[in-house]
Amino acid sequence: MGDQVDLKEFVGGFIAESDQLTASATAGLLEIEQANARNELRPKTVRDLFRALHTLKGLAGMMGIEPIVELAHAFETVLRSADQAGGRLGARGVELGLITVRGIAERVRAVADDRPVPRAPDGLLDELARVDITGTSAAPAPYVAHGWDGRLAPGERTQLAAALAANKKIYTLTFAPSDATSSKGVTIATVRSAVAALGELIKVAPRSQPASADAPAGLLFELLVVSDASVEQLAEAASSTPGRVMPVVGEAVAPASLELPADDEIAPIGRSVVRVDLGRLDELQDALSALVVSRFRLERQVAALAAAGVDVRGLRETCEQQGRQLRELRRGILRARMVRVADVLEPLSLIVRSLTKPGVKEVRLELDVRDSELDKAVADRLLPALVHLVRNAIDHAIEPIVDREKAGKPRAGTLRIECREGAGNELEIAIRDDGRGIDRDAIGRRAGKPILDTATLLDVIATPGFSTRDSATETSGRGFGMDIVRRIVVSDLGGELALDTAVGRGTTFTLTVPLTIAIIDVFSFECAQQAFVVPVATVEEIFELGDHNAVTGPSAKGRLPIALIERRGKPVQIIPLGTLLRIPCEVTAKKALVVRRNGEALAFAVDRMLGRHEVVVRPIDDVLARVPGVAGATDLGDGRPTLLLDLVELGAGVSNWREVQPS
Amino acid sequence: MQIRAGVTQRLLIVDDSKVMRDMVAACLRPLGDVSFDFAASGLEAIERLALANYQLVVLDLNMPDVGGIEVIEFIRQQSKLSKLPILVVTTRGDETSRTRVLEAGASGFLPKPFAPDQILADVRGLLASA
Repeated sequence: MGDQVDLKEFVGGFIAESDQLTASATAGLLEIEQANARNELRPKTVRDLFRALHTLKGLAGMMGIEPIVELAHAFETVLRSADQAGGRLGARGVELGLITVRGIAERVRAVADDRPVPRAPDGLLDELARVDITGTSAAPAPYVAHGWDGRLAPGERTQLAAALAANKKIYTLTFAPSDATSSKGVTIATVRSAVAALGELIKVAPRSQPASADAPAGLLFELLVVSDASVEQLAEAASSTPGRVMPVVGEAVAPASLELPADDEIAPIGRSVVRVDLGRLDELQDALSALVVSRFRLERQVAALAAAGVDVRGLRETCEQQGRQLRELRRGILRARMVRVADVLEPLSLIVRSLTKPGVKEVRLELDVRDSELDKAVADRLLPALVHLVRNAIDHAIEPIVDREKAGKPRAGTLRIECREGAGNELEIAIRDDGRGIDRDAIGRRAGKPILDTATLLDVIATPGFSTRDSATETSGRGFGMDIVRRIVVSDLGGELALDTAVGRGTTFTLTVPLTIAIIDVFSFECAQQAFVVPVATVEEIFELGDHNAVTGPSAKGRLPIALIERRGKPVQIIPLGTLLRIPCEVTAKKALVVRRNGEALAFAVDRMLGRHEVVVRPIDDVLARVPGVAGATDLGDGRPTLLLDLVELGAGVSNWREVQPS
Repeated sequence: MQIRAGVTQRLLIVDDSKVMRDMVAACLRPLGDVSFDFAASGLEAIERLALANYQLVVLDLNMPDVGGIEVIEFIRQQSKLSKLPILVVTTRGDETSRTRVLEAGASGFLPKPFAPDQILADVRGLLASA
């Protein structure tokens, strides 16, 4: 039968597609939940959800991942009933749906990480089987559009009826596929999305007819769309002519409501958006850093020329202009890395929901983040800290309903997250709950010392291992505490964490984080018992310094020892880094890092290598105003600042380094 | 089994999942001299069928706008496509679905998940009897 294909080869595609499907299913469920709150139905979203779950089930089946098949199947069954009930999926259905979809997503992650896939929880499957979708299909819509009679599903009729009732503009567009459209890349798929972008697309249906000038392939597609766009725009989207854009007349609607749109009512089309892999923006940033470094060298050379008496006014002006352009470019790249805080916080609403127990403990999440934006890299690091604070607030701070009622508080607790941009490129995020507050005296007793102010209080609760509760709880557990939050905010991101609390009234944590950070891959090493890091990209080679090639040369007073070592048959200048940095240095150099400057190799002797890490570097606000040789500071996790060195730049000082007088 | 030698068979694979389309194509590679076209929706399938000639369609049922059953019905209404072999590949493997699909005019019905040699055998069979 020929060579057998192994479907396991498709696991990468399976993971990518499943991730997309679970993400869109989550978005769909949240949309339905909001519609439920307004007492509206979303039949189309229910159908899309059904299809997503069905596809997930099919794919997981092909890959042989039974737990995902079971979960998807169970929820798919619920969605089928919901579809038959006219798109009615109640609060319980949405809640279980979110749990199921999360369960599927987790199992997809397990596949991706090559971990065993957990079984589908029996409890959840039982719950899904018990979901009772009551309600009957909505009564058939009272009117239907001319020409579409009998071609619309009940949900689509309801959609159309609602549009007619709301006096919206509805059209039938026609697209005739042909070899000519096909060769231009125009297909029903591109037409469909172009039209859908202009309004609410209710239905697309094929109509076959004898081949003619109007239908070269004997086929027409008709699109039923609700849209405020102009006839010209619609015709263009459908690759058709304005004469073939037909306004749809509802058969039971008063004629007065049907007006052709005026030409000046052209709806603005939403701004187009592209998604860019963060790695590509990192590459841009690296390229920019290289540009900044070469600008430094240029400036130095200009200075040298000026010192030699050359008239450099023109050059200097160009340099300054270039500096401004570089800053502009840097701002542009940073802007491109920004994500909306509202999007970043989206998972929190899911978490709040999953921790809320109706009738026992209820929490309302309020977000006031306006249009704040944050660097994607900061957002990714920050989210775990926010998740922890939100969990803590619901788990420990907000009281159960009984206690709240006794205290004369509203039944449901409020968790409010506010964001505002502070001065100096910072974002301030406040997480405010109206729960029981932190009892300073009780914490003091546990810590064995009196606590006089909130700063000390924060210090105590952020001590590793400190827990405010004796028993570990389901959600917050024990041990994973405020120390992690503080580490993320303060050490990893270089931000600040503040606390404000009042017993009985609530607690507010305020996080101040930089809007942007730079992340780079570095080697860490030790020199004179001090740790440093250098960007991996700048190091050409690391080699061992043994007796055969040990650093030699005078270490005379007032002089830096200059030595040559042999590397691949060629002499390479080697510089003891400790001496260059003027830190007390024993002659213990064991390793050498090789960089290349102006095409010439240069080695720096260091004591020992510590490792390779990805670190966060706080950008110096003005990249053009920094100390040559020191690119910034980072934290290797020990809470102490570690200098990020630019060895190439340090090497630049070597040519005239006889002038350097070590102390 | 008779597959015309030297003539490239042109197959249309219709599924809204890209991985699924790729998997089906991979399973059918051993047919040898075949070329594949892909459609991600029932609408695209209908468009492709109006613009080009195919020897066989592999069709999923679960698609937006125009589902698989409607595609089959549409195909069978047209005289030039009345004999086109259609293999329905679906996660809805129950008897009711099978009956509906075959009544609508499909030539074959293969429930997912399937093994690679199953679909290959089905397609070979349909191509040979066409």
